[in-house]
Amino acid sequence: MQSRWDIGEPEPRTVNSETEQLKSELLTLNMGPQHPATHGVLRIEIWTDSEIVAHAIPHLGYLHRCMEKHSENLDFRGIIPFVDRLDYLASMNMEWTYVATIEKMLGTEVPRRAELLRIMTAELQRIGSHLMAFGTYALDLGAFSPFLYAFDYRERILRLFEEVSGARLLYNYIWIGGIWNDWNDEQISRVMAFCDDMEEEAKKYHELVSMNRIFVQRTANVGIMSVDDCLTYGGSGPVLRGAGMKWDLRKNEPYSLYSEFDFDVPVGTGEVGVVGDCWNRYIVRMKEVIESIKIIRQVVAKLEPGPVMGKVPKVIKLPEGEVYVRHECPRGELAFHLVAKQDEKMPYRLKVKSPCFTHVSMLPHVAPGQMIADFVATVGSIDIVLGEVDR
Amino acid sequence: MHKEIADLINRNVQGANAVAFLAADKKTDSSITVEASHIYKVIEFLKNNKENGWNSLHVISGVDYMDYMEVCYMLTNYDPNNNKGILIVKAKLTDRVNPTIDSIVSVYLAANFQEREVYDMFGIRFNNHPDMRRILCPDDWQGWPLRKDYIAQKYYNGMEVYPDSKMNMDDREYIVRQEMIKKAQAEKAQ
Repeated sequence: MQSRWDIGEPEPRTVNSETEQLKSELLTLNMGPQHPATHGVLRIEIWTDSEIVAHAIPHLGYLHRCMEKHSENLDFRGIIPFVDRLDYLASMNMEWTYVATIEKMLGTEVPRRAELLRIMTAELQRIGSHLMAFGTYALDLGAFSPFLYAFDYRERILRLFEEVSGARLLYNYIWIGGIWNDWNDEQISRVMAFCDDMEEEAKKYHELVSMNRIFVQRTANVGIMSVDDCLTYGGSGPVLRGAGMKWDLRKNEPYSLYSEFDFDVPVGTGEVGVVGDCWNRYIVRMKEVIESIKIIRQVVAKLEPGPVMGKVPKVIKLPEGEVYVRHECPRGELAFHLVAKQDEKMPYRLKVKSPCFTHVSMLPHVAPGQMIADFVATVGSIDIVLGEVDR
Repeated sequence: MHKEIADLINRNVQGANAVAFLAADKKTDSSITVEASHIYKVIEFLKNNKENGWNSLHVISGVDYMDYMEVCYMLTNYDPNNNKGILIVKAKLTDRVNPTIDSIVSVYLAANFQEREVYDMFGIRFNNHPDMRRILCPDDWQGWPLRKDYIAQKYYNGMEVYPDSKMNMDDREYIVRQEMIKKAQAEKAQ
């Protein structure tokens, strides 16, 4: 098989000039691991032909913390804080996916109020994560002020989470059987106020960035990932939806109570650029913020007083067997493959399917032929978090 | 569902020997086990057949069961009108010293990084893989971390990475036992 990764030594290219024969060769350039445009410790080895990227090789593992090995020596509740540290910008979604894996094997009944509050926190977290993606993406492309606007509103989400869970980033809030702490009415009213403000603020972002002439020129028609690319590389989430496929696990495989809610699945339509480029991936995230606000409003309307913690045995022991559970997280589909042994307090094997890991593997595919500046735009547009890539 | 798929595989791929494992209740998942030597043909068939196609690979996961090792392929079908969930296809490898299995990179390109990770963590080599290197650990790391009998190396490039004071009690016992066995064998040989 002829593959992209097997191209051998860089071949010198000869240029015929009238005066002399000029020789040119590929230059190897390291982007990262300490590079302001890589969102963490990702190192990409780029072979450049003048300003054009000929080949890109991602080198991973700078943030490898042996999470899967550690979890084989921890009890099921003790793993939740480790799971937080996978995607530290969307900890609530990470926790929920892991907890859902255990709950499926235990067969736990989660109280309705806890389920609703889980959806609310997960959607708030999705907004926070997309705001971060929006801010840092604009920062990558040289616009500084959107970053500050985004952080202002993300801060309001973090304040709420700090009040209910006690932590700003790594919450350990969603527990097996329910949630750790209930929200009071005052906090819920602040969530509603945030939703109203955020809806107005999102319009400002669209004026400021989405249709901005410079932003459109930097992102439209750049880094095109088609549906076929996404399928063969396993791309999911905003990358797949940006390519035009209307696929969202919350709609197509409704877990929890998502089937009760009315919301749209935004896809890239190609109103600017072509479907599957950086701009379309970006706009899918911004439209998802509005959809999340819709869900949160419906959740709050359905909230009724009740318990937030179900009945869970003190020492959790799972039946023999394996389970594979996937959820829709802000960056794509996160899944856990859990193998359990009878009467053991620890998982026999816990494998994390990380969406960012598969998205990084798409970079060598889109890189060849791009300008270096466009490559930076492409890396930013898939919105990776290295904690999840390296685990 | 799994039984029909296993029958479909057996009818179309000679020698695949697909066996469906059906979970007793909804708490655990069902799976299909096939011969490791035929994994490439099975996955290729599952992707391309018109009756029951799976158009994407979600993840490849390895599990070490001590007696044998297992490579699990999670296939999925991204199609808004026809969501079939996840299909778990497994292949068993009994050789612990030099486990090999065919690569499926030419079927799903997603397998490139996933197979590298399985190689990194379990030491399972994938034939015909375009770039069989470690991916998360450094290239010169010793041992296969997610195997159950793994003990971290003590020194890495001259740095002490696993000092005795921080050693896991199980690992310490394991090393002591291994040394006793070695000593006994040496005495026996004399």
